[in-house]
Amino acid sequence: MMDKQIHLWAFLQGIGFFPSGWMHERARPEGVFSMDYYARVAKLAEQGMFDAIVFGDQLQSRGAGGRTPERMAMPTLDPVSLLTAMAAVTKHVGLVATVSTSYNTPEMLAERFGAMERISGGRAGWNIVTTAHPATAPNFGDDDLPPKDERYRRAKEVVAKACELWAAMDREGPMLPQGRPVLVQAGQSPDGRDFAARTAEAIFCPAANIDAGIDFRSDLRARVADVGRDPDGVRIMPGLSCVLGSSEEEARANHAAILDLADDALAIEYLSESLGCDLTPFDPQGEIPVATILEQTILPKADIARAVTPAHEKGTPLGAFAANFMRHPRGHNVFLGTPEQMADMMIAWRDAGACDGFTLQPSYMPGGLEDFVEQVVPILQQRGRLRTEYPGTTLRETLGLAAREAVAA
Amino acid sequence: MTRPFILSASIAEAAFAVPQSAAPILEAAEAAGLDLLVIGRSGARPFDAQVLLAWAAPITTRLGLVATVPASNAHPFHVARALSAIDFLSAGRTGWSVIPEGSPDGMAEDMVGAARALWDGWGSDTLILDKASGRYLDASKVRASNYEGPFFKVAGPLNAMRPLLGHPLLVVDGDDPIDVADADIGLIGPDGAAPAATRRLVKVALDADVAALSNRFAAGDIDGVHFTLTDALAQLPEIGTRFGSLVADRIDATGDLRARLGLPIPQTASNQPGGAVVPENA
Repeated sequence: MMDKQIHLWAFLQGIGFFPSGWMHERARPEGVFSMDYYARVAKLAEQGMFDAIVFGDQLQSRGAGGRTPERMAMPTLDPVSLLTAMAAVTKHVGLVATVSTSYNTPEMLAERFGAMERISGGRAGWNIVTTAHPATAPNFGDDDLPPKDERYRRAKEVVAKACELWAAMDREGPMLPQGRPVLVQAGQSPDGRDFAARTAEAIFCPAANIDAGIDFRSDLRARVADVGRDPDGVRIMPGLSCVLGSSEEEARANHAAILDLADDALAIEYLSESLGCDLTPFDPQGEIPVATILEQTILPKADIARAVTPAHEKGTPLGAFAANFMRHPRGHNVFLGTPEQMADMMIAWRDAGACDGFTLQPSYMPGGLEDFVEQVVPILQQRGRLRTEYPGTTLRETLGLAAREAVAA
Repeated sequence: MTRPFILSASIAEAAFAVPQSAAPILEAAEAAGLDLLVIGRSGARPFDAQVLLAWAAPITTRLGLVATVPASNAHPFHVARALSAIDFLSAGRTGWSVIPEGSPDGMAEDMVGAARALWDGWGSDTLILDKASGRYLDASKVRASNYEGPFFKVAGPLNAMRPLLGHPLLVVDGDDPIDVADADIGLIGPDGAAPAATRRLVKVALDADVAALSNRFAAGDIDGVHFTLTDALAQLPEIGTRFGSLVADRIDATGDLRARLGLPIPQTASNQPGGAVVPENA
């Protein structure tokens, strides 16, 4: 029997995974405003046999407390536009755009993704998000987000309605090559996992280590089976960032060098955004202003208290806390080592049932993606774990899913 | 500013939604010397024009790409972001034609006002991108728009930049007009009222009298012509043959769409004139 194949997705929003990544000598921060950059990275992803390119999204400006950050890379361009432009210069790679169910109507979603699906020749995917950031609401005339359970209730309705509209578009023609876009989800909470189990054909998640990956994938596969779907019809794709080197020691030094690009001011801007409270007026040498944070944050207070209290009790200064916080953005696995070690790790995760593949989050762009494609992809191919050509042209074919499948109600 | 003769056409064929048809049509549009291709039109939008604009951007080089945006099935925050992205991807060749298409009175105008306020929330020289100092942008150049209109209330700031063109070209169709100041292009029906716009294009058929149109242009009566395509692949070469001489003097013109068509960059926000500038990075 063939060895288990590894699926690869490339998460390419922004200028890299690390907040300081844009300052790396092999980063191109001006590139994200030019087509030649997107053409280059889309072709790299195809060269690396990636299933898909994914862009995340937010519907609010970055920052906290009304302050726009000066040292973090922004703005984020519209993912549907970027991915559709990339479709024009590629033939195989799938294109997965993150779009909110809370701030779009089913008609808007069906029209946009239907057009993307047709013009890309069946390579569209929709990463369904309900939008959790409170600063989004005022951009759409509201004071507050709908409550979480209401957002998920609406998401189910919106997806079901959009699927009906795609079915109608497909009948009217021109046909939608996949019937509808591939549905992708990234919910972590019980509500999110339940929604993903009913809806998604691919799921992102953070998994800091192999055990976390096994737990998540086992839980999701059980939930998928519980709603009468085939667990093998769902790809589970935890995030993975990396810093490579010719030795483990060199990789660690390269990682340290990326982190060193960030000063206290950047770390505190990043922490401010993550905690939903502007901390830039505070002294980095002083204590963490827990009372102010909990009073001012617009994010769920219990989560924020959990994030800051242990460090505050230990007496960690604000600057040191911020610098440490930035070392592990968003709880993802950050691999440090040689290309061979990285391939070993990826194969070990796949064989242990910790994932179906990985959502690569290059540490800086485009250099981080170039390194992975040039150094790790050939090893995975030599070991028979990564394809050397695409099986077809649609994203479903690339994912090894049934050509056209209806969503569970 | 020079006043060039503007050659424009609209397309609303369902076949334009698939790459096998869209690619040759775009190639023919550029070969014919078209300045503007308006994608979709009022009452005929068999596709999402903004999506097709993004697809067309990398495979065209000089064509102005105009998305028909229905006020009733769009939100200014989304539209402003998408058109900003497409303007960068196309190196400054983006336009939009907002159409009421059955929406409540004033909604299309509100859409325009809200999107313009979002674009104006970013100064043209906001980006710094200096790796050495770690400054990515100048936050003093970014403002929340706090736009409040009859239909749309949008706080901002937009999480996308001011476009290269400042604002994408605004095209107003005289057959389904909206009431806005500072429209860039107005499309006049044969018997229709002329929308207020910096440049006015008359809608004509393919067999229109070229010499007569050239005289009207010379007299300052019109600034160009607009065709309503029904079979683009057959009609575009004919447009090139019959009308190409009117634009032949600048078929190789480079630069963004406003520069080429002699249309001023909007000065709606006095503290941030001009289109966005992306600094060369060290």
